[in-house]
Amino acid sequence: MKSLSVPGFRRLLVTASLVAMVASPVSAETLTMWVRESAADPGKLMVDLWNGKHDNKIELTAIPDTQLVTKLATSVAGGNAPDLVSFDLIYMPDFMKAGFLTDVTDQLAADPHYATHVQAYKDISTYEGKTYGVGFTPDVSVLVWNKDLFKAAGLDPEKGPTTIQEIVDDARKVHALGKDTYGFWFSGACPGCNIFVTSPMMVAAGSKILPKNGTDEALTGDGVKTVLEAYKTMWDEGLIPASAETDTGANFVSAFVGGNIGIAGTGGFLISLMKREHPDFNYGMTLLPGISAGQVSGFVGGDVVAIPAKGKNEAAAREFLTWVLSDEAQLDGLAKNSILTTRTDLADNEYTKGNQPVLMTAKALAAGYVPWVFHFADMVNSDSSPWIQMLQQAIFDGDIDGAITEARAAMLEIAAR
Amino acid sequence: MSRRSRNRWVGLVYTTPALAFVSVFVLWPLCHVLWLSLTSRSLLGGGEFIGFDNYTRAFADKSFWQALEFTLTYTAYITPILLVLNLALALLTAADTPLRRLTRTVIFLPVVIGLASSSLLWYWLFDQQVGLFNKLLVDLGILTEPMIWFRKAASAQVAVTISVVWKVVGFGMILMVAGIQAISNDIIEASRIDGASSFLRVRRIVIPLAMRSIVMATVISVIGSMLAFDQFYLMTKGGPRGQTFTSVYWVFQNGFARFELGYSSALSVILMVIITSATALQLWLSRKGSKA
Repeated sequence: MKSLSVPGFRRLLVTASLVAMVASPVSAETLTMWVRESAADPGKLMVDLWNGKHDNKIELTAIPDTQLVTKLATSVAGGNAPDLVSFDLIYMPDFMKAGFLTDVTDQLAADPHYATHVQAYKDISTYEGKTYGVGFTPDVSVLVWNKDLFKAAGLDPEKGPTTIQEIVDDARKVHALGKDTYGFWFSGACPGCNIFVTSPMMVAAGSKILPKNGTDEALTGDGVKTVLEAYKTMWDEGLIPASAETDTGANFVSAFVGGNIGIAGTGGFLISLMKREHPDFNYGMTLLPGISAGQVSGFVGGDVVAIPAKGKNEAAAREFLTWVLSDEAQLDGLAKNSILTTRTDLADNEYTKGNQPVLMTAKALAAGYVPWVFHFADMVNSDSSPWIQMLQQAIFDGDIDGAITEARAAMLEIAAR
Repeated sequence: MSRRSRNRWVGLVYTTPALAFVSVFVLWPLCHVLWLSLTSRSLLGGGEFIGFDNYTRAFADKSFWQALEFTLTYTAYITPILLVLNLALALLTAADTPLRRLTRTVIFLPVVIGLASSSLLWYWLFDQQVGLFNKLLVDLGILTEPMIWFRKAASAQVAVTISVVWKVVGFGMILMVAGIQAISNDIIEASRIDGASSFLRVRRIVIPLAMRSIVMATVISVIGSMLAFDQFYLMTKGGPRGQTFTSVYWVFQNGFARFELGYSSALSVILMVIITSATALQLWLSRKGSKA
């Protein structure tokens, strides 16, 4: 008789317990779930769908983005953590290392849908061979252009830039339309916005941005310098509005939507926003390019959902994690609301058929990257991070080489902690 | 039990609620911060006792001292502006007539708005594209085109100062109005009969007799400026190029962006010592001045 291997036995055990959990007539629970405020809208769509079809209900609470880490840390330590938490995926490595989250490796290994889960979410949710969450409400960065301005500038409105140099060239032509029309936009004082839309161009060109530890490499390759030079050129030539220098993200989206910007980096979230609020805005969407045509990338963002350690309703929370990857959640919760699916096999579905922007973001999601590093907030997201200091020193002050050297040293110092 | 010692116990019982409140909400957190400052505690958990390492690190942390220097500059900048405006407005509105009461109320209104809300309001008023403050300055011919206030550290500081003055000037004014109204009318009348001019009355009578309120308003203003955070967090984000980080903002950065609770606690303790010393010095100088 063939004996069951240990992993095979564990898988059987987990599947059996899941079946037992679903089948047994347990009383309905009310689960608590936290979601970061900036991702509360898609989170609510998913939770509403779940609540409409399940006996266990979820009570969703939006937590201000800047407070989520503190609240989660104190609640886990105090034993009153929520049953589920949805947060910016970049915190995943720090949270997993800190022991904030419940190990769901066996459950996901037994889930047939997990095989087609977007690789970037699998990677960011895995630490020392164990998995702690799944992608929940995804997003990815892309490049958008204003088709009307392109047409007026004599450019092909159906063709977006395919290299960094093309961005500069097209931006020049758009700016030539008049002094209040600008070729390009980026939020110059927003570290998070720029890791989302600027770093993928560097990565597409072969660069590595963030170090994993103090002996790793940071800001390598030509991509970093090429992108910074392109931005500096556009800044020096006045192709970017002067207000970009101080924008902390307040105009990250609204600047492009204003209609006088030719090209900008943004996220897949723009699709549903445009459909809802600016249905007549004529824009195109493409992948963020690198130095040569064909080099593309995107920053895989959005939220992951996980079960905090010491949660009181772990079994019911696990059910939700399984449901998140189901066809129902992916299609009726995400795709139907013009949100990307986190399963690659469902990327092309009845809701996205013929919807070029959504299909484009699905491609970006597959080609995208997410840096698996500790101290991401310190290296990138904080207002004093080496990442934002490098961008500002290089683009606005003009010291590109010095900026890269200083940022590299600062990043390695942080990574060594 | 003697009457004296019984009175002591009664006094203690009366003060127990206040003592309990101060112990729970002031002393305990203070002790906890002092303890945290001696550890490598992270917001994500973990950490161990490391003695005075955090303090050694703080003394070598250029960014912290830059932030402290900026905070002191900001305090030195905004305090005299507030002091002069507080006093001027208090002198203009101290008399109890209906119009002056209304004026006092209008000037005091922004005080009841949260500092975060007022900072956001002013952030958009200063906006280059849609800001009404810029539009006003252009319409009045003071500027030729809308200005980007947060592009340079100096103009960013001016913008923040304008917003904070608008927000808090009413508070100092009310303190000083209370001080001025407490001056006996007989003294003012006597000075009038003696032929003292308005300027002389203010200089020789009003200011010396309302000095306690003036000192109180100044101390509160200095402490508030040394603890400045909300306005810079919301309006400048520490920019441009990190030139408008205040000390408290830097403490916040270390605690909540870098997750280094131990280190940020040490910075807080250093800041607390500096502010306490500055306040003590201020009070000592004002007492010395009033005795002289």
